[in-house]
Amino acid sequence: MRFFYSSLLDFWEESEIKISKYYPLIPVYAAYLVLFLVGFTVPGMWQLMALLAFYCALGQSWNIFMGMTGYVDFGYVTFIALGTYGMALGITIFYQSGLGIGIIFIGLFLALFLSTLSALLEAGIALRLRGAYFAIACIAINEGLRHLIEGTRVWGGSEGMIFWQELVEAFGRETTIQLTTFWVDLAVLIIAAIAALITIIFMRGKIGYALTAVREDEDAAKVMGINTMKYKTIAFVVSGWLGASVGALAWGLKLTHVFPPDVFVIHYTVECIVVVLLGGAGTLLGPVVGGLIYGLSKYWLAVILPGFQLLIFAPIVIIIIVAFPEGIIGLLKRKAKGTRFEKYIM
Amino acid sequence: MIWQLLAGNLTHGLLLGAVYGVATMGLSLIFGVLRVINVGHGPFIMVGAFVTLTIVTALGMTPLVAIPAALVMGLALGFVFFYTVMRRLIKAPEFTSLLATFAMGILLEEIIRLIYGPDFWGYTWDVGRITLPMTVIPMSKVYAFIASIMVAVFLYFWFSKTRTGTAMRTVVEDSEGARVCGVNVGWIHALSFAIGIGLTVMSGVFLTMFIPVGINPYMGGGYTLKAFVIAVLGGLGSPYGAFFAGVIFGLIENGAYVLFAQIPGVAPFSLTVSLAFWMLFALLLFKPTGLLGGK
Repeated sequence: MRFFYSSLLDFWEESEIKISKYYPLIPVYAAYLVLFLVGFTVPGMWQLMALLAFYCALGQSWNIFMGMTGYVDFGYVTFIALGTYGMALGITIFYQSGLGIGIIFIGLFLALFLSTLSALLEAGIALRLRGAYFAIACIAINEGLRHLIEGTRVWGGSEGMIFWQELVEAFGRETTIQLTTFWVDLAVLIIAAIAALITIIFMRGKIGYALTAVREDEDAAKVMGINTMKYKTIAFVVSGWLGASVGALAWGLKLTHVFPPDVFVIHYTVECIVVVLLGGAGTLLGPVVGGLIYGLSKYWLAVILPGFQLLIFAPIVIIIIVAFPEGIIGLLKRKAKGTRFEKYIM
Repeated sequence: MIWQLLAGNLTHGLLLGAVYGVATMGLSLIFGVLRVINVGHGPFIMVGAFVTLTIVTALGMTPLVAIPAALVMGLALGFVFFYTVMRRLIKAPEFTSLLATFAMGILLEEIIRLIYGPDFWGYTWDVGRITLPMTVIPMSKVYAFIASIMVAVFLYFWFSKTRTGTAMRTVVEDSEGARVCGVNVGWIHALSFAIGIGLTVMSGVFLTMFIPVGINPYMGGGYTLKAFVIAVLGGLGSPYGAFFAGVIFGLIENGAYVLFAQIPGVAPFSLTVSLAFWMLFALLLFKPTGLLGGK
């Protein structure tokens, strides 16, 4: 009996250690739960919550690659745009097939497929480059793809695609409205939650250590026998998947149109960077905090000073970069070191 | 017919290419000395265009007056941005400087939009034209071309003959070594950034002679991307490389447009832009030191 009791205690302690690895998820999920509940219960708040969820999801997706490796993907919006195109293609091709809600999953699958293709192409070429060259190569792919679509007039060319009619034909008007104003936003929140889970699994696993080694000193990591290319590619592709899903849902399905000059805009990449930088790059909580602050302030500025958001944001961004480049969570992490909150902040 | 069109477009490409070259020299200089990519490069060109617009339409002077005015304006902007922001970011991680320069660009765009509004502006400067067998060229473009070449030649002698120019090249080669040899690296950083921005703003003046009605607060974005392609083509960090690459880029851009226009059912302008980026991509893959770079 005593043996049984002690082995149970051992098991408990062991699983305690295992679970404690995931404690930093608690504040993240608590924040998402609050977002959901506030949006669901307070009337008129749902769209604001959807906006916040969008920025949190985007920040976390971008953080998975950049935060851990230190590579700046300045063309991240490519994935979001391709995700949007995937959803648009899925719906416009299959809307008469009678698959019901299945066409949305086909759209999501196409989004993931397109983003995988482009991520592998980019990884094969751009990931061999470093620093400035990498950033430029990413911008080149983004702009090259945009103008290729416009130039060859595939997928609607520069006119883009509009698929509200197709959606209505497939689901009926009521369901479509519900789908584009409620379920899509919930799905974005779920993607944000998945992104957080993937981030912590990566960070606590072998890949996280490998990527940290890459960030600190890539050559040394290579010499130590780490297959840097493999881990970088994995993180890049996963980050692209999440970006494409956010694009497919929050842009494709929500706005029901895709228009190349709108989806390939570098400003969205910069928004990702601002969100991550505000919160703290390479942390789990950072993109959530950054996304909430950025989303709220952008919404608030749009209400009180419409048209002046960028004029106000640009100097604020510069001040943040110069004054505290480690971000809010980076600062908090240093303050919390040694206290009992340490294990919740990462 | 197509040959005449091609020859005509290539002539315009040559003239525009020299201006592209000057417009990119600043980017390359800043990258070479500070190891920072100025992602807000285009908006500085836009500032130059608006300086010209103000001088020509509000003050009624010729655009030639705008050249020194834009240079002074650019130098001032460069020093202000360097001492307030860039100085602190030289040793910081890469993405901070990328983001900071992008934010600077947005700030400039929004300030200009606040003053001039979001409309398209333009001015006319008619100083005659030259008739060649294949095309007619306005003299204003020729002046811009000559001015661009003069700037490039001046910079060449500045870098190779003067003490400050040599110090700048030393910092490009080896910043620590330069410091050991008694070069004031901090001052060289500031000066290079200011000169880089000054050149960029000045090139905006030349560029307005090619776009009669295209002056707009958001015109810079396209030039940022073109400047990246040109800078890599010439080998990042090499201002002369950037100048020649600019000429090559102008020729390719204008030549390819004529050829793409022959294909039915496509949008030739977008394809030309797209070609530039695939070219850049291939270049990064096979020869990242640039066409004119060394090994």
